[in-house]
Formats: sequence, structure tokens, C-alpha cells
Amino acid sequence: MAESTHLESVNIEIRQLLDELAVRSMTEMDVVAEEAQTICERFAAIQHLAAEADYREVAKVAETLQSTLAKTPESSFISALRDAVSKVQDCMDGSGGEPAGFTDSSSGSDSPSIVDPGLVADFIVESREHLAASEDRTLALEKTPEDVEVINAIFRVFHSIKGLAAFLEFDRVYRFAHEVETLLDYARNRELTITPEVIDLILASADFLSRCIDAIESGPRGLDSLPDTEGALVQRILQTIEDRNKNTEDTQPSPIPVTTETAVAVAPPAEVATNPLAPEETAMVAARSVVLSSETTQTAPAPAAGTDLATTESKNNGERYSIRVDTSKLDYLMDMVGELVIAESLVRTEITEQSQSNTALIRTIAQLAQITSEVQRTTFRMRMVPIGHLMRRTGRIVRDLARKFGKKVEVEFEGEETEVDKTIVEELADPLMHIVRNAIDHGIEMPAERAALGKSDLASIRFTAVHEGSQIVVEVSDDGRGLDRAKILKKAREQKLISDSADLSDAAVMELIFNPGFSTADKVTTVSGRGVGMDVVRRHVEKLRGRVDVQSKPGGGTKFTIRLPLTRAIIDGLVVKVGNARYVIPMSSVREIFRPAESAVSTVHGKGKLVLLHDRLLPIFNLSREFGVESTIVNPWDAVLIVTQSEGRQVCLMVDELVGKQEVVVKGLGQCLKDIPGVSGGTILGDGRVGLILEVQQLEGKM
Amino acid sequence: MQSEIVLAQDTCPLPNKSRAGKYLVFHLGREHFGIRVLKVKEIIGLPDITAVPHTPVFVKGVFNLRGKVIPVIDLRTRFQMPEIEYSARTCIIVVSLEGRDEPVPMGLIVDGVAEVLNIAEGDIEAPPAFGNELDTSYLLGIAKVRGEVKLLLDIDRALNVAQFDALARLGGETSEVN
Repeated sequence: MAESTHLESVNIEIRQLLDELAVRSMTEMDVVAEEAQTICERFAAIQHLAAEADYREVAKVAETLQSTLAKTPESSFISALRDAVSKVQDCMDGSGGEPAGFTDSSSGSDSPSIVDPGLVADFIVESREHLAASEDRTLALEKTPEDVEVINAIFRVFHSIKGLAAFLEFDRVYRFAHEVETLLDYARNRELTITPEVIDLILASADFLSRCIDAIESGPRGLDSLPDTEGALVQRILQTIEDRNKNTEDTQPSPIPVTTETAVAVAPPAEVATNPLAPEETAMVAARSVVLSSETTQTAPAPAAGTDLATTESKNNGERYSIRVDTSKLDYLMDMVGELVIAESLVRTEITEQSQSNTALIRTIAQLAQITSEVQRTTFRMRMVPIGHLMRRTGRIVRDLARKFGKKVEVEFEGEETEVDKTIVEELADPLMHIVRNAIDHGIEMPAERAALGKSDLASIRFTAVHEGSQIVVEVSDDGRGLDRAKILKKAREQKLISDSADLSDAAVMELIFNPGFSTADKVTTVSGRGVGMDVVRRHVEKLRGRVDVQSKPGGGTKFTIRLPLTRAIIDGLVVKVGNARYVIPMSSVREIFRPAESAVSTVHGKGKLVLLHDRLLPIFNLSREFGVESTIVNPWDAVLIVTQSEGRQVCLMVDELVGKQEVVVKGLGQCLKDIPGVSGGTILGDGRVGLILEVQQLEGKM
Repeated sequence: MQSEIVLAQDTCPLPNKSRAGKYLVFHLGREHFGIRVLKVKEIIGLPDITAVPHTPVFVKGVFNLRGKVIPVIDLRTRFQMPEIEYSARTCIIVVSLEGRDEPVPMGLIVDGVAEVLNIAEGDIEAPPAFGNELDTSYLLGIAKVRGEVKLLLDIDRALNVAQFDALARLGGETSEVN
């Protein structure tokens, strides 16, 4: 028994050494002398272990390989290493007795034979990071097609994925990445000119790999069930490689038409395969190819913007040291820091009250307070990431859509380094996508139309992000035709959203576009016009406790302004008192606070109460009655009414008194108490007690 | 030998688990209960508790345990025993329940804790069946120690988290009707 476990552990140890070597052989491009030395030492270790476990065969192979590798020149070391690793692996497989899961390398399927979930998970995370970086870089490359550094960076992405995929035996990924790598290899050797079509190809390839990664994540057989869409892509890649000489000889096209608009028909439009997983995506790709072959439109970026982007690119992509930390550890740190702040404030109150004469102590305490709040700020910042990546990803959508519609759009970014909580970034992706879709489909005119209006035929969509207090403000503005007030009013009347006689302010008219199902588009396109979109934007933003506003001037463009808290972990809250209980109402939903006159309150059926405010009747929601909390205040005119709003509906919450405005850290109430209507979570208040955070929307739902 | 026979019976909730081991003994009125020490995270004095609306009656609310918000239930109310004034001996046993994905911390208000006992398998008997009148499925068994009876709680069953969800919904609905 003991003997066999020992053998097993030796076996696992050898496997680990091999795995490490295999990864190195796949991911490293070249090996310097001292690394070669350490690699040889690894084989020596394998030999030693194998000898100990009586795997004579393995020991012998490892020994011979050591001496071979030691003599191998640096240039061919990697390939020699690869052979060596596979030889030892074969040998290990042959010597039997290995733990289950290590065998079965002959199944021939795409599923990895070395099923180590940890490795696969790492592969998924790493590949996603690589692919995200490649997208940014590819878009940057479009602006600076001559930049070999960028091509190299993209090349390395596909190379790394290829290496990892080969190691984990995701053959399909490996083979496909290899084709892309070949294409990029030509590009970096300046044998292939980077044209928008090549950019398209690289983007589409990265998209396909992303789908592969998703499929791998979905389960062990996920990759097998992914439809075969790479065939067409590979075809296009091969075609592009084949055509490269023709292009350079015949036409000498300027790499990216910065001034001229030379379109190069490369992609065979008919060969774009359908992909049931992402029909939209496929439609986009297909449409893009059509545009390409029709030799008409091009996205010609202004040179200034191009260089601008490139500089920030290189700055952002500069090697930064980072480590991956389990979020549960961060959460724990946040909890502890929160407690530290509470304890600190209790100590401070105590000391300032009791020993006012001791100035040295007071000074030290003040310093402690400063340090604690700095520690708290830093802790919160640890979850924050720059928003730039999301902006550029949305920029990619702009690029694709503009090409599809034959519109010419330049994308500008400002404030890419602005940081925001990672979860917020993820949730913001959808709203931004809907906004740019809308802008390109409805807002931005065709080039000819723009020219006729005396505008530059190159339209612009601008993303900006800035911090404003504890909020991040993201703006998306275009210089298109703007929202058509008359058209919105007409549609709103048709859809009975407003009465025929209603006279609305400009802001109120703009607000109408956020209604579910609202669309002014005359015809429904694949992109927008179905009336889902703007309401999604508002719903998402409000879910994040933010606000979205729209401004527009006819002929001058539209600007969406999204205000969001920097993190979901902290909210600006209004602390109120009802009886002895204290509740926190998110400031994002508070519109107005007032004490009504007795005459303004009316009663419905002796129970429900309404209050008249600015000529509107608002229902009063009695918190003490609803939550079963005893309160001495019965009449609304003795209480404080808080007007809250979500999804356009307003309601008054009746509370005893206001305690104050405060930033609070949002915490869950735990698994057992998670679906309580009207309560979204809890927070630790200044005195260390728990205060409940109210979910205004659900309260309204109960009215 | 006797325990072997007991283990084979249907009434035993956890046929495969040995019930012997260390138990934290606490009391509610005159009844003494034991919880496996492994389930207990800590014992604390009664903190400030914030009531949460629309929850079952035995849920007293939530409290702050070093920055974490933890739900707390009154075991007396849970076992349909009469409520009493909290005293200086009243305390909260923080236990870790089995959740869907991860352990769920929960506070239990008890009248007082007594000791930690090492209980041998031989001292444990199967929980008696009282028929429909009294559900004893949340008892691991009944131990006799020094002539005293200790009811050994299967705390995961007594406070089943899934069942809790249903109760919470029920609680929410009933108070809505009022």
C-alpha cells in the first residue's frame, strides 16, 4: 500500500516536471544558455526520480536526452526540447501504473487527454486575457500598420495560445492558431501588407478563438460541439497569404488608406460560414465582406487620432507587474478595513472627548484617522481597472458597424485610464453597445448626406470618462443628425406613451426614448430599430445605481451621459430613521425630500395615501407599516417624505427623520436572507450596527 | 452492538456518520442540547441586532460580526418554545451551516452554553419517534451523560438552508396579507 502510493507520488512528480518543461517548450521563443542548463537539470531530476521508482525505460531516455540537449545549439534548442518532452511522455505512458486520466492519448478527439481542470482553467483565463489584448492591439495596428512591434505583440498572442492549446491537446484551437500565426509571420517579416482586410481577418480569428474558449469552458466536450466555422476563415487566411505577392507587385496599395480610399477586395464574401451560436456576429462578418468587395467605403481614420491612440496604447500595454488575487481575500480585506474604520472612529470620539488637553495624542489620532481612510481608499482601488479596454472594445463595434452601413466614422477616446470597479466595467458593456449601435444606425448620416449638409464626411464618435466625486461619468457623443423631437413626439403619441395634447420640455421628450419598445426607426434593421435598446441602457445603468441622460441638438449630434458609482461595493446612501430602526436609501434613486402640508395629502379608501407635489399625485409608502416597525409618527405631514424614482416611476417613502448622507459599504445579508422584498442588502453603520439598504424599485412593485 | 442495530433503522438521519465525538452543550429552558463542535465557529455575547422585515418569526435579524453581516435566529422560537427576556447568560453560538455552494454562517440565540462534552457512541440512543406530534428528524440522537439527557442536534437539518428559503418566502407572504 505504502509502496504504491510512493510510486504514484513519484509518477506525479515526474509528470509535473514534464508539464513544466512542455509549457516552456511551447511558450518560449528562444532559450539562453543558463536556461538550457536548468532544463537539463530538470531532465536529470526526472532521471533520478525514474530510477528511484524503477522506471528503467524512463530513466534511460531522460539520461540520453540530457546529453543530447546539452550539445544542442541554442537556435534549435526549443524544438529539440519539444521532442525530448514528448519522448519522455511517451515513455511514461508506456511504463504503465499512472493515475487515471493520464492515459487515453489516442482518443483522437479534441478533448484533452491530460485532464487537469486547473490547467484548463488557467488556459481559459490566460487565453481570454491574451485575446482581449490582441483586439486592442489589432485595432491600434489599423492606425499604424507599419508598426512591427504591434504585429509582434499580436503574433505572440496567437503563438502563446497555440502553445498552450497544443500542450492541453485542444487540437482544433492549436491548428487554427497556427494558421493565424503563419499569416502574422508574413506580416512581421514585411511580406504581407496590413490592410483593413487583414485586420478584419485577425479580429475574426480572435473572435473564433474566443468562441472556442467559451466552448472549452462550457464542458469537457464543449469544443467538439462548436460548429465548424473556422474552415472559411482558414480559407480566407490562406487566400490572403497567397495574394500577398500579387498585391505588392500589382497595385502597391498604401497600407492603410489614410488619405486615399483604396479598397482592396480580398475576402471572398460568399465563403463566410454561418454560425448558429452568434448569428448577429456572423451577419456582421458577412456584411463586412460585402462592403469590402464592393470597393466603396473605408474607415479612414484621421492621422492625429491614430497616433493619439497609438501612444496611449503603448503606454497602457507597457509591462506592468501584477498578481492575481482571489476576490474572497479582497472581500475579507474590505470587511476588516471597514471594521478598522469603525473602531478608529469610536476611539477617536472617546479620546477627543476625554483628553482634549493632550494635544500630542489628538494629533496622533488625527494622523491615524488619515492613514485609515487612505488604507480604505487603497483597498477599494484594488478592485478597480481602467475603463480604456471597454472603450476600445466598444470602439471595435463602432468600426464593424460603420463598415457594415457604409458610414465613415472615426472613434476618439479620452480618459481611458479612468478607473472603475471591474464588475461595473463588465456591466457597462451592454449599455455602451446599445448606445453606439443606435448612434451609427440612426444618428450618423451617410457620407454623401453629410457632405450635402456641409459636414465633414468623416463622422465622429467620442468616448470620454472622468471621475466626478465618487462617480464615474462616461459620455458617448456623436456628431450625427441628433434626435428628432417631432418624430419622437409623433411616435410617442402613436404608441400612446403620452397624450396627444401633452406639451413636453425638451428634456422630457429626450427621456421618452428610454421607454421599453420605443423606436423611431422607420424600418427595422438587424442592428437596431426594434425598440429594444435604450430601455436596456436605462435598466442596466439603474441596476448599477447610476443615471443616464441624453442631450441632443438637431443636426448637431447626440450625447449620452452615464453616471455610475465607482464601485458596486460602496453607495452614496441617505440614512433615515423609522422608529428605532435605521435604513439606507441609495442616493441614486432619491429625487427630492420634503415635508408636505396637511392639505396636500389625500386618502384613497381610507388606507392608501397620496400627496400632491408639483401638480403630480404621488403614492405614499409608509415604511413603518410595511416593515412592521413601531413609530410614533402616523401622519405624513409630521413625517419626512422622500421622493424616489426608478424606471421613470416616482414614489414617496415616509420616514420619521433624516439622519444624514453617508457613503456605505454594501454587504449581502447572506444566503438565507437574500430575496427579501424591498431590502437589497445591509451595511455596517458608524456605530457598528447593521443598517438595511432599501431596494426602492421592489418597494414600488409592492404598492 | 446496540448502536449497530440503531444505525440500521430508518429513523437515524445519518446512517453512515459516527455520532460519537465532541459536542458543545447549551440549554434552552430546562432542556439541554448538543451541537457538534466542528459546526461551531464561535460563541459571542448578545450584540445589537437589526430586525429584517418579511422573514419568519424565528429570524431575529442580522448583526455585525467583524464586518460580516450574519443572520441570527432564536432557537427557542424555532423549536416553538415560549420566548423569555434575554439575560446576561443569553448568547449567540455562531455555526457554519451547509449551503448550496459554500458554508453559511448563522447565529443561534440560546439561553446559555454549559460545556464541551466528549460523548461516546455507546451513550447515544436513537431519537424517539413521537409520531406526527413532534418532528424529531433534526435530532442525531439522545445522549445520556451523568444521568442527564442531551438532545444532539443535527443543526443542518434543524436550520435547513433550503427550507429556510421557503420559510422566508412564506414569512414574506404572511406579513403581506396583514
